[in-house]
Amino acid sequence: MKHQILARPAATIVRLLLEQGESVTCQVGAMIAMSTGFEVETTTRKKGGGGGIVKGLKRMLAGENLFINHFSATGDKQNITIGPGMMGDVIHHRMTGGTLYIQGSSWLASDTGIDIDASWQGLGKAIFSGESMFWVKCSGEGDLFLNSYGAIYAVEVKDQYTVDTGHIVAFEDSLQFQIGKAGKSLIGSFLGGEGLVCKFKGQGTLYCQSHNPPSLGKMLGPKLKPR
Amino acid sequence: MSSTLEHTIEYRPDFAMVKVQLQPGQQIFAEPSAMAAMDTSIALKAGLKGGLKATLGRAFGGESLIINTFTAGQAPGEVLFAAGQPGDARHYELTGGSLYLQRGAFMAHGEGVEVTGSWQGAKGFFSGEGLVLLKASGAGDLFFNSYGAIIELKVSDEVIVDTGYIVAFEDTLQYNVTILPGLRAGGKLKTLFFGGEGLVCRFAGQGKVWIQTRYIHPFLAFVHPFRRVKSKN
Repeated sequence: MKHQILARPAATIVRLLLEQGESVTCQVGAMIAMSTGFEVETTTRKKGGGGGIVKGLKRMLAGENLFINHFSATGDKQNITIGPGMMGDVIHHRMTGGTLYIQGSSWLASDTGIDIDASWQGLGKAIFSGESMFWVKCSGEGDLFLNSYGAIYAVEVKDQYTVDTGHIVAFEDSLQFQIGKAGKSLIGSFLGGEGLVCKFKGQGTLYCQSHNPPSLGKMLGPKLKPR
Repeated sequence: MSSTLEHTIEYRPDFAMVKVQLQPGQQIFAEPSAMAAMDTSIALKAGLKGGLKATLGRAFGGESLIINTFTAGQAPGEVLFAAGQPGDARHYELTGGSLYLQRGAFMAHGEGVEVTGSWQGAKGFFSGEGLVLLKASGAGDLFFNSYGAIIELKVSDEVIVDTGYIVAFEDTLQYNVTILPGLRAGGKLKTLFFGGEGLVCRFAGQGKVWIQTRYIHPFLAFVHPFRRVKSKN
């Protein structure tokens, strides 16, 4: 599967080129345009694999859809254009066997060989991290595409790195994070509008987004007519 | 006089702005509120254009009844256009054929071009984007815009596009609105109801289709829960 990422970072899309027999699993609604040589299948599980409804429900708790779409090329040189719903970036991440934890709704598409599950992040983190209660957990080998609200940047964490809550897109499982206060004193952190932050430790890749959707929602909500 | 307009499009694809240089006497016609700035040598006149049928057609096509006419007087001058939403803009030169535009995609056109509504029958209805497409025809310049970036697809065989992402297409193409292929009656109907890729447009023939990389509904759906809830009393 070949890919090309276009119109970064605000209106980003991915063009995938598939040969006969190759297939890709996409977030529901991600398809914008495609050639006619695809077979489309909607399931709650990995293509041809297990998982079933339980994994589907967990994925739903992580902010993704219960269903996923599989596009299988029935001829050579079939192309499909996919993109997320919100304005923002898309990046490619090559998986080589480890596990990647992805913020709910940031998973866009992956090779059908990659397992898509969800994982509970623990009560404390769930309440304070500003992310959803569950993370999408991808493992296996192949290409993976992540989307964000705003631009995405990668950080190679060597020792420690601090990210504001709500700005995490994904991180490798060789990293762990803890919730902590941004400044030395808790009151100072809150007065500074930073409150709690996520402190990463270990070695691995961390993807962050420049903006965070809840902040946008909180800014727009009060200006709109009540529903 | 349908000489080509001198123009540039800047700040693509997120904040596209169309800059047009008008020679003395030259005109450009734009949708209301598209003008961002202009030289003092340009005269602006608002009005209905193209007679009753074209005007009502445009209204059904999701555009305004009013079209603004910009005319350069004694001296040449510059007019700048930008859409209300962040997004892209493209120029297309009509040479006697027609271009179909999605609701709201029309921005401006030069002399020699007429923009009107075009009833699409039942297939327009199923597209979920309104019954009428806009049809631009004649010979001259046309500018259209989008939400998100505009990508040009050259169709030489067949291509499938989600109906919400179509911006414009040439009339040399045939199209029909269908549910995603691979679906047959009694077959995998799941893709339609749960797959989110419900209705797609299938283009066939030789020609070009322009698609936008985002459409506004997912954003509106995201913002909705953040609205205050009206108190009950």
